[in-house]
Amino acid sequence: MLNFLRLSSLADVSEMLWADGPVSALIAGGTDLLVRPERLASARILIDISNLTELGGIGVTPDGDLRIGAAVTHQEIADDDTVRRHAHLLAQACAQVGSVQIRNRGTLGGNLANASPAGDSIPALLCLEARVALVARERGRAVPINEFFVGPAKTVMQVDELIESVRIPLRRGRWVSFFEKAGQRKGMCCSKASVAFLAQRHGDRRLTGVRVALGAVAPTAIRVPAAEAALEGQVLTLERARAAAEACREAARAIDDIRSTRDYRREAVSALLLQGLLPLYDRMRALARPRRRSRRRR
Amino acid sequence: MAIPIRVKVNGQVEALEVAPDESLLSMLRERLDLTGAKEGCNEGECGACVVLLDGKAVNACLVLAAEADGHEVTTIEGLGRPGALHPLQKAFLAHQAVQCGFCTPGMIMTALSLLLENPAPTEEEVRTAISGNLCRCTGYRQILDAVQAAAQEMRAGAQGRRP
Repeated sequence: MLNFLRLSSLADVSEMLWADGPVSALIAGGTDLLVRPERLASARILIDISNLTELGGIGVTPDGDLRIGAAVTHQEIADDDTVRRHAHLLAQACAQVGSVQIRNRGTLGGNLANASPAGDSIPALLCLEARVALVARERGRAVPINEFFVGPAKTVMQVDELIESVRIPLRRGRWVSFFEKAGQRKGMCCSKASVAFLAQRHGDRRLTGVRVALGAVAPTAIRVPAAEAALEGQVLTLERARAAAEACREAARAIDDIRSTRDYRREAVSALLLQGLLPLYDRMRALARPRRRSRRRR
Repeated sequence: MAIPIRVKVNGQVEALEVAPDESLLSMLRERLDLTGAKEGCNEGECGACVVLLDGKAVNACLVLAAEADGHEVTTIEGLGRPGALHPLQKAFLAHQAVQCGFCTPGMIMTALSLLLENPAPTEEEVRTAISGNLCRCTGYRQILDAVQAAAQEMRAGAQGRRP
């Protein structure tokens, strides 16, 4: 017999999870929970956290983090000016989650808690070196995103913990980023493969702080240090872009499953990185071209 | 366990008792006889069940009825009446953007949510907006044309109403 509780404070939810965590399921957007009848059936208590103000909001904290509440939807993130300014890559990734109907409901916290290897926000958060703020009844902790996932659908969260927010350190300078994904169709939620890229762009066209992360090609989303090393501190060239793409192919520990094959996924991550890097290469070359001193008559 | 909820549907407040695992879609169809929203895939892939929740397009199959408590729902039935159709409904008829009709209510509600936020979308923006709605009959061309025509009429209407 399923119970439904709509709680209005984080403290109440924490109490509930402390007492009944093992038989409870949290619901915010519901876009994942409602397509898994087995999870709904195994829960005795459904706790609706979508109205909790403590889990909402986007802003900059006094200690210099961008804070995004766990119950903020993908569409809100994609449309938010503060996110676009400080973590454009996350806005780019969230804009590509599912369809607009899914983005209007699905939340950032839900994307993390479900821990799908194909979750689109995750490679972006890996590049941005985000932390996941967890709360329980009498404690709280911030887990670096690269330590948060243990495997498909598995995280380090304890049964009485919930995600309060995601924290992203603010960056100075000019950054370039992209998120590319391949899936069955544009408006569908699950990526067969995805690539997130972030780097600081300098006046002399060098890229530093290069971050490359892949989704859906390993038990969890992964960073690719070899691809990052191929580009770090360098001017972007076609050879370096190809070397980074090759490193992505090598890093992909993909599997055959219902959505795709191992070989396709390995090809896809390499192609997706190039798909994002080539326009960037063109843009950086255009920026570097010296401006003509005097303008002749046309 | 029956959960008492109050939800405004097409402008009218409904007081209902729903089951914890009941979807908004089945609440609309079974309890309120609003059968415009269709059950296609029941897993958020096809868009046949799209309604507006507080003005935003959602898949009614992926929202719990209990979660709609205190919120506002608009279905295709809330749009127009015979003889006084909404510009989108008129445009879908005029452009033959309907064949079997199963996708149409979801398609129109999705288009409406787009036009409420963006009264003059490009074709690319319309395509992106309806990418979560499947139509297996029309090939989408007529739907894209209908949405653009409706957008134009709605813009003209909005201008006409200004003093």
